[in-house]
Amino acid sequence: MKILNIIAIALFANSAIAHELTPTYPKILPSYITGISVIKMKLWNRRNDANFYEIDVFDSEWNKISFASTDKIFQLDYLEQKNFDIYIKDSDKNKISFICTSSKQLKKDVLSTGIKTRICSKIK
Amino acid sequence: MFKQLLTLSTLSIVVASAAFANETPIVGNVSSKCSIYTDKAGVYGNPTPDELSTLPADGGVLPVVRYDVSIADYYTAKISWPNSFSSSPSLTDAVAWDGEIEVSNTSDAGMAGYETAKIEYDNHTEYDLTVAGSTWFKVTSEALYGVGKALPGGEYKANVVAECIAK
Repeated sequence: MKILNIIAIALFANSAIAHELTPTYPKILPSYITGISVIKMKLWNRRNDANFYEIDVFDSEWNKISFASTDKIFQLDYLEQKNFDIYIKDSDKNKISFICTSSKQLKKDVLSTGIKTRICSKIK
Repeated sequence: MFKQLLTLSTLSIVVASAAFANETPIVGNVSSKCSIYTDKAGVYGNPTPDELSTLPADGGVLPVVRYDVSIADYYTAKISWPNSFSSSPSLTDAVAWDGEIEVSNTSDAGMAGYETAKIEYDNHTEYDLTVAGSTWFKVTSEALYGVGKALPGGEYKANVVAECIAK
């Protein structure tokens, strides 16, 4: 059974396409602007069917928190990585809980049932 | 003179050997990470004029999503079956949605309990990823149109949402 699982993983690994966001538990760092903090994140697009990603920031109740970044929706081609900074007000530092990236597919790229992936890192 | 040369050359050989004997460590870290793989995009079959279904028995293809977690107990998987079309022809009646998320394969025997421990609400299903490794989930989606009405001809698309949320 274990061998079958390994073979299955190897087969799927060749064809699979993935979305990754790191770190799992990012740190809030001081930025060069007074009253503003920054969180550094990294996204890796290994989905060849999704080229756009959206950033969202939430509190512990999943209410949206305002933030600034160079782009809130950006294009990231297949196998590309993107390091991005999220700027938040110091007053929101204790509210922020989740930083998420969601895949965005173009209408023409969805066959029948598209799969939207979303990965959320947590501020601890 | 010869003795001095011999001493020097012996010393240099010892030093050189010592240099070659230096260890070059390879250091690696495995950090916590969740990757969502879209292994198979689903396709709706149209078994009856008023129904769309991803079940193979209905002529559909089940979407399959794989979650890889590098360290145990850091993430929760939340998967949602569709409850609306992302694009469709104009519809004049209501659509009744149904669906199911199930574990279809695992890389570790310790994941055997995922299916019984899952939490279902609305169109969402949550799994606590308590074991490191890969888990495959299959998604069943069914859409039933009106009461005995045929779905208008055209292309229908809907989205499965697969989330990985840090705990």
